[in-house]
Amino acid sequence: MARRPRWILRWLRGLLRGRAGAVAATAAALLVVAVLVRSGVNLVSTVSIGVQFGSVYALIALGVALVYTSTGVLNFAQGEFGTVPAFLAYVIMVGGVGDLGDIGAVPDPSRLWWASLMAVAAGALLGVLVNVAVVQRLGALSPVTALVATAGVALMLIQLEIIVFESQARNFPRYIGGEAFTVAGSAVEWHTLLVLAALAVTATLLAVLFRTRTGTALLATSQEPFAAQLHGVSVSAMSTLAWGTAGALGAVGGLLAGGVFEQVFPAMVTRDYLIPAFTGAVLGGITSMVGAVVGGLLLGLLVSSANSLNLALGLNIPGPPQVIVLAALLVVLLVRPHGLLGRAV
Amino acid sequence: MVKLLPGGRPRVRTGVPQPPPPPPSGRPTDDAARRLPVATSRWRPSAAGAAARLAVLTVILGSVLAAPLLLPAPLVLIAAKAVVFMLAALSMNVLMGYAGQVSLGHGAFVAVGAFASGYVLTIMQLPWAAAAVAAMSLGGLAAAVLGAVALRVRGLYLALVTLAYDLFVTFTVLNVRALTGGGAGQPAPRPAFATDDLAYVYLGLVIVALVWVFDWRLTASKAGRAIQALRDDERVAASWGIHVTRYKLLAFVISGTVAGLAGAYFAGIEQIVATADFGFTLSLTIVLMTVVGGLGSRPGVVQGAIVFAALPTLLETAHEQLAWWPRWLGSLWEPFVGALLLVLVLVFYPGGIAQQQAPLLRWLGWQRLHAPEHVALGGGGGGPGARP
Repeated sequence: MARRPRWILRWLRGLLRGRAGAVAATAAALLVVAVLVRSGVNLVSTVSIGVQFGSVYALIALGVALVYTSTGVLNFAQGEFGTVPAFLAYVIMVGGVGDLGDIGAVPDPSRLWWASLMAVAAGALLGVLVNVAVVQRLGALSPVTALVATAGVALMLIQLEIIVFESQARNFPRYIGGEAFTVAGSAVEWHTLLVLAALAVTATLLAVLFRTRTGTALLATSQEPFAAQLHGVSVSAMSTLAWGTAGALGAVGGLLAGGVFEQVFPAMVTRDYLIPAFTGAVLGGITSMVGAVVGGLLLGLLVSSANSLNLALGLNIPGPPQVIVLAALLVVLLVRPHGLLGRAV
Repeated sequence: MVKLLPGGRPRVRTGVPQPPPPPPSGRPTDDAARRLPVATSRWRPSAAGAAARLAVLTVILGSVLAAPLLLPAPLVLIAAKAVVFMLAALSMNVLMGYAGQVSLGHGAFVAVGAFASGYVLTIMQLPWAAAAVAAMSLGGLAAAVLGAVALRVRGLYLALVTLAYDLFVTFTVLNVRALTGGGAGQPAPRPAFATDDLAYVYLGLVIVALVWVFDWRLTASKAGRAIQALRDDERVAASWGIHVTRYKLLAFVISGTVAGLAGAYFAGIEQIVATADFGFTLSLTIVLMTVVGGLGSRPGVVQGAIVFAALPTLLETAHEQLAWWPRWLGSLWEPFVGALLLVLVLVFYPGGIAQQQAPLLRWLGWQRLHAPEHVALGGGGGGPGARP
């Protein structure tokens, strides 16, 4: 929960007292940095790219963790809550549905902010719609059934994108292009800073939300819906709130993910960001919002380290992100299944 | 709990002490209800009933056998694709329907089988049977490794692990050029006795029949009942002396072996396997067809597989031949229709096709058309919420 993030203190105290977990985590982190430095990897750009990826992972992971804590559903459609709004923003920027067949169309960046607003609203709407039309109607809501159902929704949305936009990448602008400053000769892009700032703002807003009456009601509903109802909380309103917020978070993630490679394509967020985001959420503790942020960022750093290391050492391993994601997931689940900051269940 | 499947009657063994099945929730718990499985097992159809059942079964079997002959030549390979899907769905059914473990990485097991088969056939130049055995063993081995991890985690986490595994296999393992031949793919010739399309399809049907019989005997065995018991409740199963980890791993290995076999058969359809054939949509499609078919029901999942194998061609044909068909609704919509089917099934008929056909499947399974009212015998769909 977003209550008093004292985990840094706890970690330091654990380190001082020689607790195995904290010591091992610190040693592993130092080892990774040492290996990176020794193999001549450009640390600044690795961290910069890692933060860019990691912030998007964290934004998606926040949506995943929010829906999971409040309704107990692991939402596979979260990635499409990002891709669909990003495509909507693209359509608005190229000026309507007239010539969507034009693959090389250049979106008009002056409409980006206005298009983003529409996209975030559409994301929220999509989240609510999926909840009302599918998740709420599942007869026996076992977590696995819900996961499979949301996977079905994701597949439907992906195929719709393929039908409308073909399996082609479309141009997508960044909010702020170019380089912000250089550290030790390596440039840090504005987009990195923007993504990080967006993550910070969203996380803060969520933390504030959880301290209001509404947020408390949301948490109460997740713990015991019946008791919450007895106290006058509308369970359906809370689930609408959670799904709507998750949809909006997904849209923010999708818009920023589009800027990472300056393109959008069908299934973009699901293919490239969703699984790392899930893993980040598990890594941080899937019941914890702070955990989602920390886990997402950590995974972004791991992924970019793996990529740079693979390049620097000439290992030629195909798909380093996939390797590191599976490895991270397995290690977390075997060593600490409730994640770094989650509650043990 | 002794769960009944459409094919099998409950067996009451005298030698092995069995705990009484717990009363189904919300049902009367009197002694009569508890004794019911024994009572139903004594029921036999009359001579006329038996003859009618035999006749219908013969007709169904006959039409399945005749189907590849009736298909126009260019479409025969759709039957081969249906065979792959049937095997994959039966394999998924062991895991999801019987053991209650979800796998979103089943496409990876199929891929492992396909490339193992290609490697053995092309690089090692061994006969087809050896390739099939290699595919099955590697599929089983991969499942055993993944299952060993899965023993520690449950439900959602397992789904995540299998998904990450699927991506790892498709992005990393399949791109190792030495093993898979890279983008060009690995040739995988068919066996010498079935090089013809039609012969290859019949080979596939024989394989499906063998797997079906194996699956049927499995569900009727102690191991099969143990696997299904841990689906219902792991702690209760453990309290009955069922070794939960061992049987879960067994379910994984069986499932992976069958999926590997599906891969070996798949490799022979185009006689070449390429990395592009696999991806996480394949894994999701396998989940879709199993759920749409009806978890826990052999006839159900096999029909689900046929539906998903035929869907693209059906849409394409309807698009080309039917005047009233919407012009835009072409084969590009197939994954959409498939996913829509899944969502509709989950919302309206959680037991899938098998739930729809429950009375028929029960009747064909040598039982009464309608189960006696006060006992909840599963007629197919053992999935979550299959029965009200």
